[in-house]
Amino acid sequence: MAQIVAGFGVPHTPIFPHFVKRDGPDCEIAKLFGAQKAQLAAERPDLIVMFDTDHLNTFFLDSLPIFAVGIDRSFKAPNDEPQDVPNYIVPSMLDVAAHIRSAVVAAGFDVGMTQNYSVDHSVIVPLHFLTPDMTVPVIPFFISGHVPPLPSAQRCHALGRAVAHAIESWPVALRVVIMGSGSFSLEVGGPRMAPGRSDGVPDPDWAMRVVNYLEEQKIDRLIAEATQHQLLKAGNVGGELLNWIAMLGAIGDRKPDYVAPQMQNGHAYGVWRWN
Amino acid sequence: MSIFAVNHLCREVLRDHAFRAAMKSDPAKALAPLDLSDDERRALLAGDVGTLYRMGVNAFLMNYLARFEVCGLNLKIYNQRMRAVKVDEIGQPVG
Repeated sequence: MAQIVAGFGVPHTPIFPHFVKRDGPDCEIAKLFGAQKAQLAAERPDLIVMFDTDHLNTFFLDSLPIFAVGIDRSFKAPNDEPQDVPNYIVPSMLDVAAHIRSAVVAAGFDVGMTQNYSVDHSVIVPLHFLTPDMTVPVIPFFISGHVPPLPSAQRCHALGRAVAHAIESWPVALRVVIMGSGSFSLEVGGPRMAPGRSDGVPDPDWAMRVVNYLEEQKIDRLIAEATQHQLLKAGNVGGELLNWIAMLGAIGDRKPDYVAPQMQNGHAYGVWRWN
Repeated sequence: MSIFAVNHLCREVLRDHAFRAAMKSDPAKALAPLDLSDDERRALLAGDVGTLYRMGVNAFLMNYLARFEVCGLNLKIYNQRMRAVKVDEIGQPVG
């Protein structure tokens, strides 16, 4: 049977690959992703299921699911030209993805799908750092976290649990890592940008509170406070926290090994391992 | 569906390199065939992203106009014009 062996929370800032290329392996970004890369390799994953918010690139405003899963043997990335990210073909697991979708629909979650798809920086930037040889299959699970109405935090947490049950009912032995991709507080291109930048952190207090709740394993509190109002108050991409909350639902609300904040970006790097 | 057309053309600036080049060289001509209201067309050609935001255009998508420097925009100008929009605590335009 497939088993979930670890959870990771990752940022996906599109300019980070450029910064690391420019600043070298000793820069903060390289070290934080490097630490996660070593932790991930130690788990010897056969599959990564990544909760992610597409930035209107895989989907668009003409057809925008609240939840969807990518179902194919592989997918291409990136489709939004982040600087210094090569073109990748990422392997996936079509049968497992279709099984997860069927199982969570049976459990009451009406999940859409995409086939023959590509993804943007929000999936590929963390993989660029964590699995750069792209040999570990990845199934992206999309949660609409940018365009209101957003799904509730409670719903996303329950979705994560349903995805876990689906994975654990897959009859083949697989070591599965769950990832949640995104920021806790960030405004991109909107009025709450910082002066002279293309982004900003509108609610740093919230971002720090999220880190504290994760470290203290106060997930019920996190879910209760992560209302749509709070997520939008945290920025126009503040709903990406829902991907972390779904990841927590899937791994079972454990205490993290560490959550390393990068507060100037309103996000963090988190690792949950238990074996 | 007019605001949709503005959102869509912003993403096309990212996706369609021929459209991006046309928007850089002659934005009025590039926008001519698109189904836009007069107000939208005027605001786009003026690089008036603040007005477009107040009309309901997606800020994340409009950011491509600054990234690829079309309609007279660049990071600095875009930042100043967008930050001038008064918003409430969840980013909705006010006043």
